[in-house]
Amino acid sequence: MTVASTTAVRKPVRWSRLALHLGCLAALLVMLYPLAWLLATSLKPADEVIASLNLLPGHLEWSNYTTAFDGVNDVSIWRLLSNSLLIAGGAVLGNVISCSLAAYAFARLRFRFRGPLFAFMIATIMLPHHAVLIPQYIIFNQLGLVNTYWPLILPKFLATEAFFVFLIVQFMRGLPRELEEAARIDGCGPFRSFFLVILPLTRPALITTAIFTFIWTWNDFFTQLIYLFDPDKFTLTLALRSFVDASSQSSFGPMFAMSVIALLPIVLFFLAFQRFLVEGMASSGLKG
Amino acid sequence: MPGHRTKGFCASAAALALCAVLAGCGGSGESVGGGKTVLRYTWWGNPDRAERTQQAVALFEKRHPNVQVQTSFSGYDAYKQKLAVQATGGDAPDVMQLDYRQIDQYASGGVLLDLAKQKGVLHTAEIDPGLLATGRVDGTQYAIPQGRGTETVVYDVKTWKASGVPLPRQGWTWSDWAGAVRELAKKTGKPGATDPGQSEDAFEVWLRGRGKALYTKDGGLGFTADDLTEWWTFADKLRREGAVSPAEQTTQLDGSVENTPLGRGKAVSDFNWDAPASGYLALIPDGVALAPTPSGEDGTPGQYFKPSMFLGVSAHTGHPKESAELVDFLLNDQDAAKILGATRGIPVNETIRERTASQLKDFDKTVADFQSSLEGTLKDPPQAPPSGDNALQTTFQRDYDQVSYERMSPREAAENYVTEAKAELRS
Amino acid sequence: MTTTDIPAPTARPKRPATAPKRRPKREHEGAAWVFLSPWVLGASVLTLLPMAVSLYLSFTDYNLFDPPRWVGLRNYTQMFTEDPRYWRSVLTTLTYVVIAVPLQLALALVVALALKSMRRGKAFYRSAFYAPSLLGASMSVALVWRAIFNDGGTVDNLLGTGGWVNKPGWALLAVALLTVWQFGAPMVIFLAGLQQIPAELYEAAAVDGAGKRRQFVSVTVPMLSPVLFFNLVLQTIQAFQVFTPAFAVSAGKGGPADSTLFYTLYLYDRGFVASHMGYASAMAWVLLLVIGAVTAVLFRTSRSWVFYASDTDGGAR
Repeated sequence: MTVASTTAVRKPVRWSRLALHLGCLAALLVMLYPLAWLLATSLKPADEVIASLNLLPGHLEWSNYTTAFDGVNDVSIWRLLSNSLLIAGGAVLGNVISCSLAAYAFARLRFRFRGPLFAFMIATIMLPHHAVLIPQYIIFNQLGLVNTYWPLILPKFLATEAFFVFLIVQFMRGLPRELEEAARIDGCGPFRSFFLVILPLTRPALITTAIFTFIWTWNDFFTQLIYLFDPDKFTLTLALRSFVDASSQSSFGPMFAMSVIALLPIVLFFLAFQRFLVEGMASSGLKG
Repeated sequence: MPGHRTKGFCASAAALALCAVLAGCGGSGESVGGGKTVLRYTWWGNPDRAERTQQAVALFEKRHPNVQVQTSFSGYDAYKQKLAVQATGGDAPDVMQLDYRQIDQYASGGVLLDLAKQKGVLHTAEIDPGLLATGRVDGTQYAIPQGRGTETVVYDVKTWKASGVPLPRQGWTWSDWAGAVRELAKKTGKPGATDPGQSEDAFEVWLRGRGKALYTKDGGLGFTADDLTEWWTFADKLRREGAVSPAEQTTQLDGSVENTPLGRGKAVSDFNWDAPASGYLALIPDGVALAPTPSGEDGTPGQYFKPSMFLGVSAHTGHPKESAELVDFLLNDQDAAKILGATRGIPVNETIRERTASQLKDFDKTVADFQSSLEGTLKDPPQAPPSGDNALQTTFQRDYDQVSYERMSPREAAENYVTEAKAELRS
Repeated sequence: MTTTDIPAPTARPKRPATAPKRRPKREHEGAAWVFLSPWVLGASVLTLLPMAVSLYLSFTDYNLFDPPRWVGLRNYTQMFTEDPRYWRSVLTTLTYVVIAVPLQLALALVVALALKSMRRGKAFYRSAFYAPSLLGASMSVALVWRAIFNDGGTVDNLLGTGGWVNKPGWALLAVALLTVWQFGAPMVIFLAGLQQIPAELYEAAAVDGAGKRRQFVSVTVPMLSPVLFFNLVLQTIQAFQVFTPAFAVSAGKGGPADSTLFYTLYLYDRGFVASHMGYASAMAWVLLLVIGAVTAVLFRTSRSWVFYASDTDGGAR
């Protein structure tokens, strides 16, 4: 923030900042308690998992983690990790490219049926996905693409996630129209103004799209379950989650351990990329 | 105009997909890898089962050098969903593990191959005929049981013994059982058992004890609203007395042993299947024991040996013979049996069951001993339930929830259930 | 830049006045279709086609295995007149929407604003507040939730309320809190929206003598309104479709006593557990129409409170 108002009286400002931090920390304490519980439970022996009320385990049961890893011993963990990265990476690329293209047309260009098509795009978010699951499976099966990564990546390159199209549309509509008009005077057509003017200014939305796509694709157990057959092609999430069978053994400890393992890569990803969220328009400098 | 082209394309693509759904057709697993026949084989289970299955499959591949088996497994719930989508999409694996409740639906939906056509390679002579019949739908053998299990009253040995209440014995009746759980509640201060009212399985045992069944031979409802009212009144009364678990505990059942009242230390016993009961050992350090389920008042046993899982072959497989060979190998081969042990329940092949009995260890042995103590006293299992049963199992538990949370009387809930069941079984 | 562009954001978008002017500007029609081409392909093959199939199925009796049988409107009439559980699921879902959406949005907005005014530790707080959302709603989250809201669990110990997840009146609230707890996505979107507001607008407002509060009302609120609108629409749609948290917390049953049997949970139950895919498809289309109507209303009201910089007259500056 570059607002000059902070030059005002110093002391009250500092107190209010302290209060802000204390408030945030208190809220965090509540918010993060369930995560602490998850972490602690992943180290508890079986008889303490549900029965014990203590947050901290009586003794550390590291075997929960080895058991979770045992489940995936047919395929190396690195293989699973690289499969996951490939799918999530492909999805990010696809969503950022295709959704920003479509969003640009909806937000800033005029064409026939724009209104109805936009309404249809929003409507595609409204039908519960369970209703279209089987028709989609049949299409990919007819195309011979089941048990490949195409059903997981191709839809993202075709802007099927209307959530992100709409998100980017909203950001693009927030940009003043003079931007393109100025660009047009400089001789830019829609393609150049898209790449040179609009896209750089939509960065916060694109980064948000990238981060959400990565996390959501990473966690999307169900689609991966339906479309992948070969254990060699499994993702980390799929392998860890499907290898724990709650009905056939006492497995809560390993299950918690498994979720912690599956969580680690996306935590690292988020920590690495969230700093890009900071640099928005304010720092890239809009010169009207 | 791009718009026009799109419209035309849409129309033809829509027609294509509609055809696909209407015909229920689709590509079959006609895959050939490096000149070898490739079979896809899927099952549900845990890592231990996976490891042993993998070894058995490797042995199969060694014996059949021209066949390559691609295996894939997941947990039970995930497996069920995946298989349903695959089967609907016309893409079922060549060899698949199936549940009792899936047989009817998959068989009548044309997903499964008539296994009698592969008699030459798939032998069933050493399987108990009553058990084998459970894989038959309308007289056709669509699936072969792969292991067997049975319901049991599993109890916390130490607590029950310490209470002084007589231990369960073979041939005890439902009123003996009710007396025991009342006494247990009085002596130990916690409910004697999980409320059995929500369990369709427990109800079936109770019904069979009275010479009835859940379903008739032709797939209709085998009992009346009066029967169900009586059962729910029985359970409701015990629950109100505090002899069985309260609604707030019972509602947490989710298939895992951890969330049963017994597993949480809030009851002394539970109704469960014999093999999964091993999960209690980690939760109740002093150990659990298995007792037979109660019989009818005239001594008719309701308990039966139930196939814990089946093997079936896809009707669309390109390799019916090789698939049948794999099924035969998993069921009847001595070496495979040694590798597999009791990982899929006690083996159904009788010769193998006798030979492997001595090699079983730990809880596998407990289960085998429990089953052999029942041998010869039980009646034949019912045939596979009609496909409507998938829906009814949850309806049963939902309707009883209305009773246990005291929103409906047993009579009202039972009438509701029977109405819905009749509609479900008609369609 | 002149001070005159400060009031501009609060000015209502003069749509009727500007629309005719823009009409003739279809010179980029061809370019628009190039930009749209991936979406057109995806929307027609992967979305419209399956939607058409499910619409067709909603008029049939389809058990997933045998070919669908045309039954006309029977699924719809059965749903509206013979299925009390259907209506219970409608009521449950509406209650949930009314509780979860405002709570989650308010929390996300408040936290985003608090973080925006922070100079230090912004990245830390943002990550920490987002952390619950990284988990999704998996099996283990559900177990954690159940343990915390069970009798003898943390909440019971602190508040003495007894268990929540095992009481029909309370379970819905526990599920709603799970959704509210994962407010990371709308928060991040709010933050991104806040960042996109040009610093110049604040500077100009300060020059005009606008205090913090005034700046909030005349700069932040209008400039953030497109993003606020986005979050409102999307969270509402998603709340109507809530599935995973309820499925996970009640182990797929929607219990206790159907108190968390949300619409899509019941839809899934009908379609995939009971194998009545025709009925489930009919339910899906009714839901689509309802959400569509609600969204249309939201879009209509948005004209009076959502400000788009691109809609203002170019000549104003």
